[in-house]
Amino acid sequence: MNAQFLLVMLIGFAEGIAVGAGFVAFLSVLGIIPRLTQLSKTWHLIRFYEWGIIIGAVVASWLSLRNPTLNLPKFVVVPIGLGAGVFIGMLAAALTEVLNVLPILTKRIGFIDKILFLLMAIVLGKVFGSLFHWTIFVNGGVK
Amino acid sequence: MESEMIYLRLRQKKKVPPNQELLIRDIAQLIGEDAYCAKVEEIPIYQVTKEDKNLVVIDVMKVITAIHCVMTNIEVQVVGPTQTIVEVQYPKKKLAPVYFVFIWFLLFIGAALAIMNFHEDVSMREVHQQIYKIVTGIDNPKPLLLQVPYSFGLGIGMVLFFNHLFKKRFNEEPSPLEVEMFNYQQDLDQYVIVHENDENGHKKP
Repeated sequence: MNAQFLLVMLIGFAEGIAVGAGFVAFLSVLGIIPRLTQLSKTWHLIRFYEWGIIIGAVVASWLSLRNPTLNLPKFVVVPIGLGAGVFIGMLAAALTEVLNVLPILTKRIGFIDKILFLLMAIVLGKVFGSLFHWTIFVNGGVK
Repeated sequence: MESEMIYLRLRQKKKVPPNQELLIRDIAQLIGEDAYCAKVEEIPIYQVTKEDKNLVVIDVMKVITAIHCVMTNIEVQVVGPTQTIVEVQYPKKKLAPVYFVFIWFLLFIGAALAIMNFHEDVSMREVHQQIYKIVTGIDNPKPLLLQVPYSFGLGIGMVLFFNHLFKKRFNEEPSPLEVEMFNYQQDLDQYVIVHENDENGHKKP
C-alpha cells in the first residue's frame, strides 16, 4: 500500500516538474517579463517578478485542482479580470510578433508608414471580438 | 610633420545624467603616447540637451573629426564598435513602486490564468467561471463582471507591448514591432547582397 502511495506521489511530482519547466520556458520565449521591466525601468526588481510568476502558478494550480471557495465580494473579480486581460493581450501581441506577420504584410502592400493603423485594427478587433464573444456569442453555445 | 598614432575604442553604451557635456574620455578608451592621449581625452564631443530625449548615438566619424579639429597630426586607429549609444538618465520619477506592484500583480494573475487554462484544456470560458466560483462562491455561467474588464485588458495589453497608443509613445525606445521590421529588412538586404552580387557566382534560384 505504501509503495503505491509513493509511486503515485512520485508520478505527480514528476508531472509537476515537467509542466512547471515547460510553463517557464513558454513565458520566457515570448519575452513578456523583459518587455515589462524595460517599460517600467525596473531591472533590479526582476527577481521579484520571477517569484510572482512562480507563486501565481502554484497558487492557481492548487485552486484549480481543489476548487475551494473564498466567498469574497463580487467586485474583487474586476481587477483580476483586467489583469488577466492585459496579460493575455501581451501574450497575443508577442505571438503576433514571433510569427512575423506584420513586417511581411506591411512590406507586401507598401504600408510601412501606416503600420499603426494595422496595429490599432488588431487591438480594437481583439477588444470588440472578446466583448461580442462573452456577451452575445456564448448564449448560442450554452447547452 | 611626424604624425602620432593612437588607438581608439568606443564604448558600447554610456549612461549619462541630463545636460552633461560629453568628453571623448566618457565614450572611448584610448591607447598611445600618454601626452597625446591625455590631450585627446579632454576634447568635448557632444552636449546633451533636452531635445535629445533619452537616446543619442555618436558615430566614430564624428569623434575622429573632433580630434582632427584640435590636433591635425594624429592618426586614429579605430578598434571595436563604430558608434556609442548614449543613454540619458533622467532623475527617476517616484513611480517605480507603483509600476512594480502593478507588474507583480499582472504576472501573478497571468501565470495563474495560464496554468488554469492548461489544466482546463484551454477553455477560457470554463476558467472564467471557475475563477468566479472560487472568488465569490457563486455559480455564474456568464461572469460578465470578470469578462468585460478582461476584454478591455486585452487591448491595453497589446498597446503596452507595442509601446504605442495611436501617435503617442511611452518612451523613445523602439517598439518590438519596429525592431522586428528592421530585422526583416536586414534579412532581405542580406539575401540581396548574396544573391544579386555577380562576384559571388551565385545564380538566383
